[in-house]
Amino acid sequence: MDKSTIICRCEEISYEEIEEVLTNGATTFDDIKRLTRCGMGPCQSKICHSLVASMIHEKTNTPYFQIPLPRMRMPLSPIKLETLATNSTSFSSVKSVMDEVELEDGKVR
Amino acid sequence: MDRSYETIIIGGGVVGSSIAYHLSEQTKEAVLVLDQKFPLSGTSGSTQAWVWVHNKTPSWYAEFSMYSAELYSYLSKKIGDVEFKRTGGLSPFFNEADREKAVRLAEAYEQIGIKIKVLSREEALEKEPFLNPDVVGATYSAIDGNVNPFRLVDRYMRAAKKNGVQYSTYNKVTEIQKMPGKFIVVSEKGEFSCKNLILAGGTWSRELGKLVDVNIPINQLRGQILVTEPLKPFLNYTISGLRQAFNGEVLIGYSMEQEGFNRATTLDVIQETANMAVHYVPSLKKAKVVRAFSGIRAMPEDGFPILGKIPGVENLYVAATHSGVTLSPLIGTLMTELILEGETSIPIDRYSISRFAK
Ligand SMILES: Cc1cc2nc3c(=O)[nH]c(=O)nc-3n(C[C@H](O)[C@H](O)[C@H](O)COP(=O)(O)OP(=O)(O)OC[C@H]3O[C@@H](n4cnc5c(N)ncnc54)[C@H](O)[C@@H]3O)c2cc1C
Ligand code: FES
Repeated sequence: MDKSTIICRCEEISYEEIEEVLTNGATTFDDIKRLTRCGMGPCQSKICHSLVASMIHEKTNTPYFQIPLPRMRMPLSPIKLETLATNSTSFSSVKSVMDEVELEDGKVR
Repeated sequence: MDRSYETIIIGGGVVGSSIAYHLSEQTKEAVLVLDQKFPLSGTSGSTQAWVWVHNKTPSWYAEFSMYSAELYSYLSKKIGDVEFKRTGGLSPFFNEADREKAVRLAEAYEQIGIKIKVLSREEALEKEPFLNPDVVGATYSAIDGNVNPFRLVDRYMRAAKKNGVQYSTYNKVTEIQKMPGKFIVVSEKGEFSCKNLILAGGTWSRELGKLVDVNIPINQLRGQILVTEPLKPFLNYTISGLRQAFNGEVLIGYSMEQEGFNRATTLDVIQETANMAVHYVPSLKKAKVVRAFSGIRAMPEDGFPILGKIPGVENLYVAATHSGVTLSPLIGTLMTELILEGETSIPIDRYSISRFAK
């Protein structure tokens, strides 16, 4: 790999960009992800995570088994919002900002 | 690494790093930031990052938020591009009863200089054509916007380091000793001493407070967010509930659950969030969700920031708040004034931790 090698294809992040944040103190895949977007693309790091692991290993001498895996999140592979939606319009955990505005004697609190 | 500092800040999230940066602009004395992981591993790395003002209540809190939002343009000039966009903020409503509230809000906030327009259905749809045509109206204010939280914290940190601030990461603070005129901060990587100590531990503030026998009444409040694939720009405003980022992704979510420090995402809230998305912007139906994430808000017991000196312990300070992204430029500025000059240009007495002692 040289400096311009693309490590994360989805987000087009190069070896050099990841090297820079590693030098700046990033240690785990998730640190690198938040600073560079590497791993945030449509494949959600399925392609880039092993390359990044080898970079972490190379730069920090951390043994492979000690490098934490990126946090995998639902839905694992992209799905349409309409597949998730249940068409209900009653909400419990999800709030509306306007509900938080309260009137007291006809005045905003 | 040095062991002795003028000031130590525990917590390198958006709040701690903003204080570190603003402090480093004003003083050459040594500053150290300690973080148990890496900055952005806490709440600042899992947030919606609206810079939000217009329907915060009560009005004094909205006013405080406004001063901070006003600082953003200047801040981006100083620390570099943080993808701050003053898009204007839009809060749609779907029943007539909310219009009454909206009108009252606009009247009340006119007096403090926050301009809110109450839009009719047609005006709302004209501004944001992809809104649900069933919308009844919306409140709108030009003051609101959003920012890229990753870039923001990274830029604060880089600018602070450039000015000489040191960071010690993956280094949890486990003990704090109060000595005459100084603190000894015991961490996983050894002991440090300092004159001024600032607790900026976000959602972990209560735990940090225990190390100095101070009750910092911060609770946890989880929020879950859905992220879509990048879509071509189609949303013009920051909508309270969803926003489109620079790269085209739409971030959706405004949920609140008391689940302690559990950062799982759950299907029920993901589904509710999807329902909100298609209720607000029906054409999102066809957009693909790439990822769900959750973050744990630091929620003060009464909902308002806890800022300033900790009474009874000399040179000990706390900064813990919800909406830390919106408030970080102001908090950094005011905490710096407080530490260096002993007073602040905008009063923060209202936000003192002493209010909980009553
Ligand atoms: C879903 C969601 C949506 C949100 N939306 C918005 C929004 O739209 N606009 C807005 O303004 N705000 C929003 N917020 C709130 C905002 O993100 C937070 O207020 C802000 O990130 C808090 O920053 P912080 O620096 O206090 O906390 P953090 O980023 O959590 O930083 C605290 C740091 O302290 C460190 N720490 C803790 N204990 C120790 C210890 N013992 N030793 C060493 N280090 C320690 C942690 O490692 C952490 O890095 C949202 C939050 C969530 C969860
Ligand atoms: S290659 Fe990195 S996210 Fe797909």
